[in-house]
Amino acid sequence: MRKRLYNVGAILKGLSITFGFMFRKRPTIEYPSVKKQHAPRFHGLHELRRYGDGKERCIGCELCSSACPANAITVIGAENAPDDRKSPGERHAARYEIDELRCIFCGMCEEACPTDAIVLTPRFEMADYRRGSFIYAKDRLLVPPDAGVGEAPDERPGGIPGDLGRVAEIKSTTDVARGFSATHRGEILKTQRRGLAG
Amino acid sequence: MADNAVNVTLTIDGVPVTVPKGTLLVEAAKTVKQEIPVYCYHPKLGPAGLCRVCLVDIEGMPKLQIACNTPAADGMVVHTRNDKVDAGRAMILELLLVNHPLDCPICDKGGECDLQDYAMAYGRGSSDLVDPKTRKPKGVDLGPTIVLDEERCVVCQRCVRFDDIIADERQLVLKDRGVRDIIATSTGDPYRHNFTGNVTELCPVGALTSKTYRFKSRPWDLQRTQTTCTQCAVGCQMFSDVRYGVPLRTMSVEHDAISDGWLCDRGRYNIGFYDSAERIVQPLYRRNGTFVQIGWDDAFTLWGKALREALRARGPEAVGAIGGGRLTNEEAYLLQHLTRAVGSANLDWRAGLARQATPGAKGGTLAALDRAQAIVTIGEPLRERAPVLWLRILKAVRRGARLIAAATPAEAAAQCAGLAPIALVWDGVDPALGAAYDGAFAGFAEVATFIASEQGNARGAEAMGMLPAFGPGYAAVAPGRGTRAMLEDARAGRLRVLSILGANPAAYAPNAAAEALDALEFTVVSELFMTETAARATLVLPARGPLEKSGTTLNLTGDLLPLHASLQAPEGTLADLEMLIGLAQQLDVELPSAEDLERAVIAHAAKLPTGFGLGDARFDDGPSVAPPPHVHRTIFDGAGTAAHDPRLTSLRALEVGV
Ligand code: SF4
Ligand code: SF4
Ligand code: SF4
Ligand code: SF4
Ligand code: FES
Repeated sequence: MRKRLYNVGAILKGLSITFGFMFRKRPTIEYPSVKKQHAPRFHGLHELRRYGDGKERCIGCELCSSACPANAITVIGAENAPDDRKSPGERHAARYEIDELRCIFCGMCEEACPTDAIVLTPRFEMADYRRGSFIYAKDRLLVPPDAGVGEAPDERPGGIPGDLGRVAEIKSTTDVARGFSATHRGEILKTQRRGLAG
Repeated sequence: MADNAVNVTLTIDGVPVTVPKGTLLVEAAKTVKQEIPVYCYHPKLGPAGLCRVCLVDIEGMPKLQIACNTPAADGMVVHTRNDKVDAGRAMILELLLVNHPLDCPICDKGGECDLQDYAMAYGRGSSDLVDPKTRKPKGVDLGPTIVLDEERCVVCQRCVRFDDIIADERQLVLKDRGVRDIIATSTGDPYRHNFTGNVTELCPVGALTSKTYRFKSRPWDLQRTQTTCTQCAVGCQMFSDVRYGVPLRTMSVEHDAISDGWLCDRGRYNIGFYDSAERIVQPLYRRNGTFVQIGWDDAFTLWGKALREALRARGPEAVGAIGGGRLTNEEAYLLQHLTRAVGSANLDWRAGLARQATPGAKGGTLAALDRAQAIVTIGEPLRERAPVLWLRILKAVRRGARLIAAATPAEAAAQCAGLAPIALVWDGVDPALGAAYDGAFAGFAEVATFIASEQGNARGAEAMGMLPAFGPGYAAVAPGRGTRAMLEDARAGRLRVLSILGANPAAYAPNAAAEALDALEFTVVSELFMTETAARATLVLPARGPLEKSGTTLNLTGDLLPLHASLQAPEGTLADLEMLIGLAQQLDVELPSAEDLERAVIAHAAKLPTGFGLGDARFDDGPSVAPPPHVHRTIFDGAGTAAHDPRLTSLRALEVGV
């Protein structure tokens, strides 16, 4: 009998802790209806920026991909057609892909880029069901033509706001998921060369 | 003290060095592993004294001296690095960069650029320049193969000197002076000759770059494989640089004994056909007049059945094989092994004009041309036929050798009287002409002979026994029928099944060959493209190109050279070697093991053919057939590659297409 009473005491003690937490401030938030404020320099999903006149900043130089410690970036350059200039100089990125599953969000690409084209935004919501859809190509990385220049951290006094309020529209995940293999990339180079040969 | 007359001893960075008298300091420093930066100097072009980046400090001389044009002298004390030298070099680099655009991120040379490397190693890292840089045109279309960025040029004139000295073309000049100087062709015409691509490798900066490689990659992306060019009989050593399975460029390998560090534009740029959409990628079988796609198993069954039936019904004379210079030594050996194993001696590698590829016991090495006092060229111009061999002949001419072209045998012999050694370079086409020269030079003591055959591995095919009268290692055998005779037999109905691997006989004497091919019961053609011959085949087998397979080749001077596959071949194609293995299973012929094959190839390649000269009767296959329409197509056919896709294979078409 004594023993049983002792047990009731322990239960009450335990429950008092449990009930105590009901009146404390909660450490969790109601994600996704409430979102957490990130540190000002949080490294999230990449963005390829544009110049004020709408031209792409990226010149397809591959410096980001060679700086990347995770080997997550693939760039294939090409010459700007005189009547359809993608970037200001002679060269632009015909293909730009980041495998966000490989990326360790270190920001070395941002560091290496000579034109401040690639930047890491605070966006982090990339969950998906397919591995292939984590390979972000220009269709999802590049700031849409009508959405301004994009935002670089160094041009934002006071740090980055918690939510940029705009997520690059995902055009088609099936498209992205389809074989981003070396063969596929080789096809791009071949197509380019055929164009060259006439 | 006779030694002192030819050698001098000096001190470089505290290390005593003894070098032959007249050695330039820049070369002397290499013997003690001291790298002196250079732009205008190049071992093959000599000093020019233009860029001044090679400054060194020589004790007793008040000012810094240029290492590239100062000969080593006895007792000289040279410092390649000290404060004075470093300050001098830093100043030169700062001046070189005054108007340099520094657009390394988009420069094709970025990552392998001497200006980047030296600026990092010896530059100040900053500049006092405050004025804006002079702007010049970028992306200038210099010709069919080359793009010029005038801003990046450091005016070292290597390109100009290559054109003058090495290629003897004299097209490039330095126009204007001072900050306005630019590289251009003297006439203003497009820069165009057989060796233009070499200037992209010589240019120390990204001023001259290849159109075909422009902006496609960065050097660190490329997978590099050393291999042998198969597009003519010289067998130049080259690197194949591949990204994502696409061959983006080829670069020369410093190989003094073979290619001397050069490549011709055919070898360098004719790599686009590998990923052509017109390649055949599945076996094709002619059924009721049209080609249908079939699988490899069916292809082997059909090929084997046709051969077995012809052998049973008509005997071994009714079958034959032509194996062109596209085959590796291993493939040529297996092809003749298989054909001879079924009892036939109807074998040949010659598809067109060429008659002979092996010069016999008098055959010289390429380096022997460097010693020749007189060089006699016989037949077709070598600049087209064996381009890099032509560069070596020009080198001999610069040294003072006499070049004799378009002479009769007697005239040539008269002009060579008293000269030794003498080199005879024959194109291997007209046996009577070859024999006449051989006879005219019989009395000369030192004669080296060369045959610049039109096909890549022609000499290998001969050494491996792809000839009606010779087995492997030039062993005399009971003669069968050669190409011309086989085609005659076909017309007469005596030959029933012909296997043609990597050759395009229908491109030569089109009507006669076509008639012969049409008369055959069963023609098997292994090809990359639908050539004139393939279009008349019963069975077309999709083959692999030289960058897609491994093996060995023999060049015109009998050097055994390696082929290393650098490309993944399209699915559905097979190397000729694999085709022959498949056929051997059908015919129940035992093939040598891989090790035995390797041993056989090495042994037969090493055998020096003796007892025949130029135009030897045993090579004779009757009169030559009519020449094909385009010279360069002859040459392309030799490689067996894509004579049919002019857009992607011939430089002439590249010029139009770009
Ligand atoms: S953030 Fe780092 S790991 Fe991610 S792509 Fe950039 S460089 Fe690579
Ligand atoms: S993002 Fe920047 S570093 Fe990367 S390829 Fe483009 S310009 Fe170069
Ligand atoms: S184009 Fe290149 S090789 Fe020619 S002078 Fe200029 S830097 Fe030298
Ligand atoms: S000379 Fe012949 S082997 Fe040499 S690069 Fe040119 S085509 Fe190739
Ligand atoms: S390398 Fe000596 S002056 Fe240019």
